[in-house]
Amino acid sequence: MNTSSVILDQVTKSFNGHDVIKGVSLEVKKGELVVFVGPSGCGKSTLLRLIAGLETPTSGKIEIAGENVTYAHPSKRGVAMVFQSYALYPHMTVEDNIGFALRIKGMPRAEIKLKVRAVAETLQLGHLLHRLPKALSGGQRQRVAIGRAMVREPDVFLFDEPLSNLDASLRGQMRVEIAGLHARLGATSVYVTHDQVEAMTLADKIVVLNGGRIEQAGPPMELYRRPANLFVATFIGSPGMNILPVKLAGAERDRVTVTTAQGPITLPRVNARVVAGAEASLGLRPESLSLTTAGKGQLSGYVNLIERLGGETFAYVALKGFDAPPVIVRLDGEAELRIHDEVHLAIDGQRTHLFSADGLALGHAPDVKAAS
Amino acid sequence: MTMASANGWRRHLPLINAFIRYGVLIGVGFLMLYPLFWMIGGAFKNNHEIFASPGFIPSHPTMDGFTKGWKTSTEYTFATYLLNTMKIVIPKVILTVISSVIVAYGFARFAIPGRKLLFALLMATVLLPKSVLLIPQYLMFREFGWLDTYLPLYIPQAFAVEGFFVFLIIQFMRSLPVDMEEAAVMDGCNSFQVLTLIVCPVILPAIISVALFQFMWSMNDFLQPLIYLSSVEKYPVALALKMSIDVTEATSWNEILAMSVIALAPSLILFFVAQKYFVEGVTSGAVKG
Amino acid sequence: MSGASIYASRRAGSLYIAPFAIGFLLFTAFPFVASFILSLTDARLQDQLGDAHFIGWHNYAGMWGDATFRKSLGVTFFYVFVTVPLKLAFALLIAVVLNFKLRGIGLFRTAFYLPSILGGSVAIAVVWRFVFASDGLVNQFLHGAGFGGINWLGEPSTAMFSIILLRLWQFGSAMVVFLAGLKAIPEDLYEAADLDGASRLRQFWMITLPLLTPVLFFNFIMQIVQAFQEFNGPYIITGGGPMKSTYLLPLMIYEEAFKYFNLGYSSALSWVLFVIIALFTALAFWSQRFWVFYAQERDNKGGH
Repeated sequence: MNTSSVILDQVTKSFNGHDVIKGVSLEVKKGELVVFVGPSGCGKSTLLRLIAGLETPTSGKIEIAGENVTYAHPSKRGVAMVFQSYALYPHMTVEDNIGFALRIKGMPRAEIKLKVRAVAETLQLGHLLHRLPKALSGGQRQRVAIGRAMVREPDVFLFDEPLSNLDASLRGQMRVEIAGLHARLGATSVYVTHDQVEAMTLADKIVVLNGGRIEQAGPPMELYRRPANLFVATFIGSPGMNILPVKLAGAERDRVTVTTAQGPITLPRVNARVVAGAEASLGLRPESLSLTTAGKGQLSGYVNLIERLGGETFAYVALKGFDAPPVIVRLDGEAELRIHDEVHLAIDGQRTHLFSADGLALGHAPDVKAAS
Repeated sequence: MTMASANGWRRHLPLINAFIRYGVLIGVGFLMLYPLFWMIGGAFKNNHEIFASPGFIPSHPTMDGFTKGWKTSTEYTFATYLLNTMKIVIPKVILTVISSVIVAYGFARFAIPGRKLLFALLMATVLLPKSVLLIPQYLMFREFGWLDTYLPLYIPQAFAVEGFFVFLIIQFMRSLPVDMEEAAVMDGCNSFQVLTLIVCPVILPAIISVALFQFMWSMNDFLQPLIYLSSVEKYPVALALKMSIDVTEATSWNEILAMSVIALAPSLILFFVAQKYFVEGVTSGAVKG
Repeated sequence: MSGASIYASRRAGSLYIAPFAIGFLLFTAFPFVASFILSLTDARLQDQLGDAHFIGWHNYAGMWGDATFRKSLGVTFFYVFVTVPLKLAFALLIAVVLNFKLRGIGLFRTAFYLPSILGGSVAIAVVWRFVFASDGLVNQFLHGAGFGGINWLGEPSTAMFSIILLRLWQFGSAMVVFLAGLKAIPEDLYEAADLDGASRLRQFWMITLPLLTPVLFFNFIMQIVQAFQEFNGPYIITGGGPMKSTYLLPLMIYEEAFKYFNLGYSSALSWVLFVIIALFTALAFWSQRFWVFYAQERDNKGGH
């Protein structure tokens, strides 16, 4: 019995000569919730539809639960899908909507009724079974869509941006519910979203897609702490990582020196292949910067803008001499600061990132127990 | 699960699907349009050939049918009848458009007393069988002294009697946000200026649809001219054509076909030029309503 | 209904719909009542109205004994019950075939829609008479295929066929409406059904048809009301014959008034037609709640 539920092997997809998926290989292990995330047009929905069977790949192989399903009919792949628009049949009751697939299969009515009720109970829809979709709220419709997928007991659940049609507060609630559902059922799931917060909170593994290719795949914290390239570094994390243009000066076994507009900075770094004089990018997340006194910090600048959220504060600091947008610094909620203040920033060396001119990560910070 | 054998076949499904669809469409389409092809071809044939073969391409194309048919067997040429038709249709279309827009504006925007009832009556006129009104209308126009004139044919149109058109325009107007009109009022327009300067330009597609439909319906109208017109010199094309198949026994069918082609020509041309409006006119009434 | 205060003036609103109000009274309401009153008289077309006598229900009572009326009523019902279902079914079928991302869809739609634009005209009726004449197009084809010709317009049994065919030929307008209805059904409902394992046929039966019922209802009502009032075709092609086999009620109403000058009787006939149509329409409207599904979206993004 293999432990992989979904295997994609060099899958490509072209529409009218235009390559949408450019050779994707990945594995989803049994019981994992994998999130496909990326900007609009990156191909994440197409990839999901390829797994669902609503599209066929131009080349490559797709396996689900050990069977080659590359050209199989969607209903014969052992998958169930929750659509972005829910795709509920408007003229059928909640009960009929959930039980539709079972009815097609020819299951006896009594059995269908039992299964539907069980699923409805789990999703707190029991009292809504006789309603039509038009009489339900957005959140209720979403749960019916999930119920319709659950009742089929598929090998793999597919979610196509299920939360994007909900308003912000409801989205947070439903995210928690989906996470809870996954924890309880332990069902293999592939989840597509453009929201990196959903990706970070729900995923066992994140696959970041860009222009039809995988930029990086791995557990959320690994993508957060060790982004493989600039794209992933700036995509994951909110507010995004600050990127500063620097030049590589030299490297030793466990550290790298870069020259910046404000002088040289030395960072702890392992396995970095450095070409002296080359352009590079220094990545600093808002939480890796802190306020310090003159002389003790590596960077200084003037406060441009202050965003106070109550529990934390984000300060936008224009660094002297740098040809870059202001860096965002995360501070305590009570931080005392005013616009035009001159500040000095200390860098937490363990939490820095370095990228070559091609955008690829140069080495990694030494300490981290790499999440695997 | 023996999927292997099914794999290759399923890829070609879209192709087979398209093939069958095209086949059906082309077959049915050809059958449907054949009478029209035959009519046009027959207009260019000489009389004998029409009855000789069902093919529609004339072996010796001739304009005979047209030249003789144009003269018609009456004392007037076909030109007279065409002109008469235009004398009826054009006022009809103009009056319909104007009255429909005005009445629709009232329904769509204003808080009129008894609005619901009046709207229900409007809808009722769409479904009402016109045959039940025929005789009293005739008697009424007789009292007015309007028999054998074109007046009974287009004067009623000034009163928005075609509920369908009013309905079409109301639906269109309802889908417009009121903001622009409010802005115009703040700029100093009265409601009529708002209607003509602001609303009409925006609902132009609906107006065009109404105009086109009324044009077509009026071109095809037969019963109304039949009961009101008695002088041949006033006959529109519809009556002239009917007359031509009544009058002679040994009919020159190629002439009749030729004149039929001419009779349909305005509608045909207009249809091809403005198809979009026809389709949208019909569907917006059905799907939104 | 706008909430703008600029439209609060009831007087202005009344002015705008005044043409309709006047027109309705003058050309609809008044004639409507008048024709009922007429149907209770023995008015003649050539006489002054004042010469007519009030004869109560005599016109209506006499109807059932009138063999021509019975025949006319019969052929009218036959015509309606045959053409309406057939036309709707065919229009739906072609709309389904056409509802695809094919190249040249517009071309086919035009080709099918064109006949319904031209079909009501005298010109087409004339051509139709020609097509079904003894030496006309259809018989020429039959001869060519080795069959004998059929006297389409001369035999009572086949004359109705040619009239029916003319109406079916004009299915384009119904088809266009069906197409719009089909396009309004979201694609992802079919995708969800694919995943649930429903075959194409099942999808048509369980998803497409139910969601098409409003459009079906609209088309049904329009077709019934139009079919009962068909005049041009039968009048021009067969004149109501042979032996009244195509003598639809509208023809009889016309002839009774303008050929035989029996205004009273003709009015009564027109009222009978009206009542029949009204009954069918009312029945259709009442039956809506059993088979027509209207989807109204509750605009809802919040709430749990």
